[in-house]
Amino acid sequence: MHRDLPYDLWEPVIGLEIHVQLNTRSKIFSSAPNRFGDEPNLNISAVCTGQPGALPVLNKEAVRKAVQFGLAVGAEVAKFSTFDRKSYFYPDSPRNFQITQFENPLLRGGQVIANGKTFKINRAHIEDDAGMLKHFSTFAGVDYNRAGAPLLEIVSEPCIHSPKDAAAYATAIRAIMLYLDASDGNMEEGSLRMDANISVRPKGEMGLRPRIEIKNMNSFTFMEMAIESEIQRQISLYLDHPHRAPLDLIPPGTYRWDPEKRQTVLMRRKESSDDYRYFPEPDLTPLILTDAYIDQLRSTLPELPHDRFRRYISDLGLTEYSASTLVNEKPLSDYFEEALKVCKSPRLLCNWITVEFAGRLKESGKTLIELGILPAHVAKLIQLIEQNQITGRIAKSVADDMLATPGLDPEKIVAKNPDYQPLDDTASIEPLVDQVLAAHPQSVADFKAGRDKALAFLVGAVMKLTRGKASPQIVNDLLRKKMGNGGKEKG
Amino acid sequence: MKPLHHLSAVALRDAFLQGEVSAVQIVEAFLERIEHHNGKLGAFLTILGPRAWMKAEALDKKRSHNQPLGKMAAIPVAIKDNMHIAGEITTCGSQFLSNYKAPFYATAVHRMEQEDAILIGKTNMDEFAMGSSNENSAFFPAHNPWNLNCVPGGSSGGSAAAVAARLALIATGSDTGGSIRQPAGFCGVVGYKPTYGRVSRYGLVAFGSSLDQIGPLGTTVADTALAMEVMGHHCPHDATSLDLPPETYPLSKKLQEGTVIGIPWQFLKGLNPEVRENFQQALEVMKSLGAHLVEVNLDILKYSIAVYYILATAEASTNLARFDGIRYGIRSKAGKTLEEIYDQSRKEGFGREVKKRIMLGTYVLSAGYQDAYYKKAQKVRTLILHAFDQAFGQCDAVMMPIATSGAFEHGSIQDPLEMYLQDIFTVPANLAGLPAISIPSGYDRRGMPLGVQIIGPQLCDVAVMQYAHAYEQASSHTRIPGNYAS
Amino acid sequence: MANFDSQTLEHLKKLCRIDCTEEENREILNSLGRILEYVVQLNEVPTEDTASCRYVLRGMLKNQMREDEVKDLLPRDQFLSNAPDQIGGMIRVPPVLKPSS
Repeated sequence: MHRDLPYDLWEPVIGLEIHVQLNTRSKIFSSAPNRFGDEPNLNISAVCTGQPGALPVLNKEAVRKAVQFGLAVGAEVAKFSTFDRKSYFYPDSPRNFQITQFENPLLRGGQVIANGKTFKINRAHIEDDAGMLKHFSTFAGVDYNRAGAPLLEIVSEPCIHSPKDAAAYATAIRAIMLYLDASDGNMEEGSLRMDANISVRPKGEMGLRPRIEIKNMNSFTFMEMAIESEIQRQISLYLDHPHRAPLDLIPPGTYRWDPEKRQTVLMRRKESSDDYRYFPEPDLTPLILTDAYIDQLRSTLPELPHDRFRRYISDLGLTEYSASTLVNEKPLSDYFEEALKVCKSPRLLCNWITVEFAGRLKESGKTLIELGILPAHVAKLIQLIEQNQITGRIAKSVADDMLATPGLDPEKIVAKNPDYQPLDDTASIEPLVDQVLAAHPQSVADFKAGRDKALAFLVGAVMKLTRGKASPQIVNDLLRKKMGNGGKEKG
Repeated sequence: MKPLHHLSAVALRDAFLQGEVSAVQIVEAFLERIEHHNGKLGAFLTILGPRAWMKAEALDKKRSHNQPLGKMAAIPVAIKDNMHIAGEITTCGSQFLSNYKAPFYATAVHRMEQEDAILIGKTNMDEFAMGSSNENSAFFPAHNPWNLNCVPGGSSGGSAAAVAARLALIATGSDTGGSIRQPAGFCGVVGYKPTYGRVSRYGLVAFGSSLDQIGPLGTTVADTALAMEVMGHHCPHDATSLDLPPETYPLSKKLQEGTVIGIPWQFLKGLNPEVRENFQQALEVMKSLGAHLVEVNLDILKYSIAVYYILATAEASTNLARFDGIRYGIRSKAGKTLEEIYDQSRKEGFGREVKKRIMLGTYVLSAGYQDAYYKKAQKVRTLILHAFDQAFGQCDAVMMPIATSGAFEHGSIQDPLEMYLQDIFTVPANLAGLPAISIPSGYDRRGMPLGVQIIGPQLCDVAVMQYAHAYEQASSHTRIPGNYAS
Repeated sequence: MANFDSQTLEHLKKLCRIDCTEEENREILNSLGRILEYVVQLNEVPTEDTASCRYVLRGMLKNQMREDEVKDLLPRDQFLSNAPDQIGGMIRVPPVLKPSS
């Protein structure tokens, strides 16, 4: 699959359909529990198992969460929307029709900012999820726990033009759902699933060429790979068969991504038996929303990811990369904000959370939150550094200790370990300073000639001798005193 | 005291409440009648003997302890077999569900049991309520107590036969296109279809969701009114259930001054002379009560059957999709792959009429045809609604015959279209969501019952009951068919 | 209106997943043909300016929603007691190759 493709001559056109499970207590039309991971068929009712005589009744909380999403992305919230039946036979469907919103969806339009770009949403609507089919070698088992879970289906315009943008768009949608507390966004549990519609066209060509669909992806990484792979496949086909009609080369079909084979696999071609025969759901009344209701929900919107992102950059001075790392993981971002109540150095705090601690935790796969390390403690660690109570180097050891004994206050850790006590006794440092100065005459000369880097080197040398315990400020002062203030005025 | 089965439900309840008869005696009497007659009549599919005994004993105990008793205390009630009684089999007259145990109560049924009705059995019906003669039951046909060679009507044929033969005093039916009213008419009993949404559909196996209503059959209007008082409540499990306070049904022999009855004479052109004469007699009775008769224009109703058979089958095709051999009901042994399980289970489980209607319904919704059929029918339905609106601007109620004739003989109608056209007078009330009642209005040459229909505006259930009661009191055509009087 | 023939019938049978005997095929073809001929009369009715009758009662034009509460569960053993085939708490079906649409 690896060949040199002239990417700059081709434009991928991608549309994403994202299905997000709303985190209501009960299902959308059934009052059974909306929960993942329980033993099969424990979270069911007559409605979500399609018993004869059962009827759907809409969950008002599902509506509320969906409307909040609409407001968060600036969509138009329909004051009058309706439900439709979508017919198809499959064992995970309790009635062999899904209740969805085909003709009059709840939300239209809207946009999401990701990767510095604006992506437009076409529409979004609520519908019920299917159950789960578990595949075994000689049979399959059907579990209806998930049947009837509330889904918000968000359909983008075909305005995404790279796999990275697709992942960024999906990440942004997920972040919004987390910030609204409308979904738990748990990818492994299938709370967010993505279908991608992909076509390519020569750059500059206006119309849309035939597309295929890759369904049911629940990992951003896999989705990126899948889209990339498909783009390559399509471009290659066009290049290899320049005289064949696009529809011949790319007949409509549904694919899935095989993570082991690392390629898209055809599931089925579009058939006439895909006639869903949408028609109005007679068991449900229309969904009628008032301005007052919508305004009330608008007024209770929490801070949204993009606003938080902008605040981190403009108010807190974080880099775009740091800001988006925090913002896209809401629990982490909340943790950061909690620590910020104690410590007033956002950049330093961010670095410790997203780089220092994150790096140490990478192998175990756990998070600061999971380990039970309090945000206030991380904040304190930074305070200790800033107040010169410990050096940066000591702080790293303290961090290791904090991870080894979660819940322990860093101040206590420092107090208990004599090795962590800073050396601020000028008398004991001075001889070491003299030692370093004697050992590095060239650096001394460099510093006197105006090279500040030489000072840093000398400071480092003294720090090494003191095993990091000496107060950098004292060392700095002593060196300057002994060398004179160098070739430049220092402010 | 008269034999128990000669009493109205209200009278029987009062006799019980006053201590003239015990609930156990009531159950004994009616179960004996059922055992004696059901073999020939085929009215019941399941007889709920043990359940009825238990309820009767409990009622007698309550009464002896002077505990409060419900509005339907000790009345033996038959339930059409497409409504759930929790723990009992619901077959819908189909092989598909011959072993299906209902996991919950139909709200309407539960309400009656809570008002101390004695649920005595599940009645026979056309399979999945699709039929006008009870000949489509997968088990055995039901017969008309007035003449066993004749059909009792359908789809609530079993319920109508049971009440007519006095095997129960009240029965429930479901009415999608006339399935309560037409069999009531054929069997000489009262049958009532409420305003759409008046009675909860929760626990009624759906046929045509925007048309279905549960309603009572009884030997008197007052008895059906009692059942309506009990069943006609808002239900939070049914989103189409009317969110209005329940009605009470005060009944007077007199018609309110200035009552105007509308008759769509143009639409009734071509009525057979017997039915026309009987209908005219019924109108004379209304006149004698002080009603004014006016002609109203409901010509558009000639399209009702076309509209109905498109919309009802469309809804039914999706409502019956859940019967797939996967979660409940029969699963074909001939199915090895998933597709085969679907295809074969539905082949074996469904009768021919059900298959036809599912396919018709699928067709009218399918790509390329939905506009021409389903959407067109929906628009004509709007016109039918408007036509009734206009008519009710000129009258308080519309009257029509119930059917084009009395009950026909088993097997005498083979042409599907002719069978569908049996519903021509009943279907309009379903399309427009209107309350409508069928009351006995006399007998044809053969001695078979004829019925007249009163249709009111939406929500005017009380008025319709009232007009029917006044008519009934002034005409008294209700009697027990010969073989069932003793 | 297009011709309702046996090809149409085969397509319909696939859509609604019902198999039939030859005799049933014939009868259904015949019956549906008759009914479809009959309903053609709806074309006589002018409906250009008519809305679809989506809700038969004006009173239905309001929300009927429920609170987000867990209730009315169906106990698993009751659910499975009606099942034709079950295993490990799940409904058992033949192995399925095609994932859902």
